[in-house]
Amino acid sequence: MSEATFTQLLDLACGGFLLAAVIVLWRRELTAIIQVFALQGLALAAIPLLLGLHEHRADLVAVAAGIAALRAGLLPYLMRRALIASAPAEDRGRRHREGSDERRETQPVVNVAASLLTAAMLTLLAYAVAQPLVALDPTPATRALPVGLAVVLIGFFVLATRRRALAQVVGFLLLDNGITATAFLAASGVPLIVELGVSFDVLLAVLVLQILTTRMRTAFGTTDLDDLRELAD
Amino acid sequence: MSVVGSALFGAAGAACAGSLAGLLAPARLRAALVGACTAVAGLAGVVAGVAALDGGRWSADLPEVLPLAGVHLAVDALSGLFMVVSGAVVAAVAVYAVGYAGHGVHGASSRGAQAVLPLFAATLVLVPAAASVSTFLLLWEAMALTSLLLVLAEHRQRPAVREAGVWYAVMTHLGLVGLLAGLAWFAGQVGGETFAELRAGGPELSPTVRGTVFVLVTAALASKAGAVPLHAWLPRAHPEAPSHVSALMSAAMVNLGVYGIVRVGFDLLGGGPRWWWLALIATGALSAVYGILQAAMSADLKRLLAYSTSENMGLVLIGIGASGLFAAAGHPALAGVALAAALLHVVNHAAFKALLFCAAGAVLHATGLRDLDRLGGLRATMPMTAGLFALAALGAVALPPGNGFISEWLLLQSLIHGLEVPGVATAIVLPLAVAVIALSAGLAAAVFVKALGVGFFARPRSEQAAKATECPASMLAGMGLLAACCVGLAVLPGVLGGGLNRAVVAAGVDGEAPLRAGGLDVRLDALSSRLAPLWVVAGLTAGVLFASALPRLAARRRERRRNARLWDCGGGAPTPRMAYTATSFAEPLQRVFDDVLAPEQDVDVTHARESAYLVERVRYQRRVPDRIEHRLYRPVMDLLAAAGNSARRLAPGSMHLYLGYGFFGLVTLLVVLAVGW
Repeated sequence: MSEATFTQLLDLACGGFLLAAVIVLWRRELTAIIQVFALQGLALAAIPLLLGLHEHRADLVAVAAGIAALRAGLLPYLMRRALIASAPAEDRGRRHREGSDERRETQPVVNVAASLLTAAMLTLLAYAVAQPLVALDPTPATRALPVGLAVVLIGFFVLATRRRALAQVVGFLLLDNGITATAFLAASGVPLIVELGVSFDVLLAVLVLQILTTRMRTAFGTTDLDDLRELAD
Repeated sequence: MSVVGSALFGAAGAACAGSLAGLLAPARLRAALVGACTAVAGLAGVVAGVAALDGGRWSADLPEVLPLAGVHLAVDALSGLFMVVSGAVVAAVAVYAVGYAGHGVHGASSRGAQAVLPLFAATLVLVPAAASVSTFLLLWEAMALTSLLLVLAEHRQRPAVREAGVWYAVMTHLGLVGLLAGLAWFAGQVGGETFAELRAGGPELSPTVRGTVFVLVTAALASKAGAVPLHAWLPRAHPEAPSHVSALMSAAMVNLGVYGIVRVGFDLLGGGPRWWWLALIATGALSAVYGILQAAMSADLKRLLAYSTSENMGLVLIGIGASGLFAAAGHPALAGVALAAALLHVVNHAAFKALLFCAAGAVLHATGLRDLDRLGGLRATMPMTAGLFALAALGAVALPPGNGFISEWLLLQSLIHGLEVPGVATAIVLPLAVAVIALSAGLAAAVFVKALGVGFFARPRSEQAAKATECPASMLAGMGLLAACCVGLAVLPGVLGGGLNRAVVAAGVDGEAPLRAGGLDVRLDALSSRLAPLWVVAGLTAGVLFASALPRLAARRRERRRNARLWDCGGGAPTPRMAYTATSFAEPLQRVFDDVLAPEQDVDVTHARESAYLVERVRYQRRVPDRIEHRLYRPVMDLLAAAGNSARRLAPGSMHLYLGYGFFGLVTLLVVLAVGW
């Protein structure tokens, strides 16, 4: 693989990665959001794959396979299952009153247009902040570093502004994807044992959140996080 | 290793052994073992202190004990004096505590409280030996924490203990913050943290730095000494602590605040301008008058004693301030006398206040009461305790032949002769200080007449007081030791003369030997005056014997006496309820100082149903709130509570808001980074 092809492909993967994060902000259907998240997992897996092929490192290729399995396969599967559990079959097709549909992120705290603008601002901010880091060692991989940071910020933004518990889980996973991407782009990945630990952590977090979401649904009837406010009184 | 060093290590070792004994020993032996170890630690402190007062100096650097800073210890005559006081109080109170805390019901006999007591005792002895900022702060904090744990010992029995504990914890830690800030800044400016380096570099610093360090450190230490207006913890913590702990705190711990002021103000900073010392005199005067006034109003025996501690520390601060003032004006001889008087008052106060608290504890032990209004008649049932309390009260009222008299006389001498120092400030302040001392001495007489007369004489005003029995032998033995100290200090203060001189010189006031120890009398060569307490005692005893014997002789000549019932105006035999209570005894004083005390009175008259002219019941309620506390602390606490309540609005329970805080925090940080790069 030539240097130019590598750069092109890496930029393509990073572009897809960032685009997926923005689409998560745009779409309202939770099923669509999960699909986009799975696609983002593939884009994320492409980054270590390209790095591994370019630097001839088999361990990075293995890590890429693992990431693809986890973030494009297992985690979306778990979330889809949670979604089905939280919106049971008999509810499907029946229109609920506005705002109570469990399968849609109907009323985010910040509306979609403003969210997209904010995502643009956050991406700019990520580029501004990452400049000194890029300047340290300008390679194709580090030039794409701001993308990782931007996804971290967008993930945090999703976490802070979405009402449905499942959308929050996606936000958390976006944040984690961003961190992983930053690690690959800045340092060609963390040691394998750390990567394994982090992946396992994320898996456990999603499992726990899935259980909590189900509990929330049985306790409050919805998965709207604002209902948790009752616990503070 | 010298005597001082080995004695100090002995004290630390005995305290550790005592602490282990408190943790591990079976309940039956616990109090005795802990008491023995603590008493050994106290005696070791006395030995070390006496050796230092004799002119022995000792220092040690233990760099391995603490990482980074190491431990620096040094003992001179000034430390020695405070060690002797702490050690003697600890030894006597440890004996007392065997009886007081030995019986199961008190929280003070619990495993934890017993294990902490020797550690507290050891820190009391060791704090004066610290010779670097870090060592001093470490020991100081250890002292504060162990005393806090001991104050809380009876928190299961009375809910008031917890409130007192919170007050004490907050104020002692605010004090620590001041002390830490002042001493750390001082050390940073000098460029070294041992006292030797501070002593060398202190006088050369700029006046602003020196002034700020003095104000910060003195405020923190004066709070520990219970000076008004930083006294709020004292009348809460001292009454609520177990009595032997009250005795240790009131007779040994507050002294260390005075020690710190002398050490930092005179020794390390090398004296200072007049305004330092005028401020100190003003604080002392306020503490003296306000403390004794509140004591006069108090019906709680231990609270009364706590406020009296505030008063006595105020007198000591007046002495220290006067000494600094004279030294700043270039009169070292006068400065020496004033400082010696202040230090002697520390010693005297420790002796009588420890005994007073122990006796109050004995009363509490026997009756379960601290309220003077419900006590009375204890002279018949607890004759030994009553006698010991009377002896200590005699010391506290500053009248001959009590031991308090001698130091207050010395203080007055130095202040009166201080008028020869030129300057407007001295011409105004010193006569006022003399008046303050006279006023507080007069009020102290009323206070202790009240405590003794209402508490121990007359007839018992409650069932518990009537059923009181004398306390166990170990408590009497502990109190007896303290009483012997009181008597010794009252009759032969001359024995301390040489040690006091060396302590004054060690503090950096080089008046050449202000007190001449003439064996039986105290001479002030600088002021050409002298006092021979032994002759005062002999004369007074002869006078009292004569005055009491004469009427008896006269009566013997007449016919034999006839017992008759007291004339009761036909209203029936007088009941104990008709006798003076502490509240009624203090009522005239309350009227005189009405404007200062602002008491809250409430008279509630219930009329009989048949006629408005017939009164069924009259209810009288009086509260004398601590006015300074009300005006000074309440607004601050209200402000803090309001800030806390408004801060609660930041956390309404919305998950999005919490996540938003994190998000905005991160983004703001990044923006600042991006813009400021």
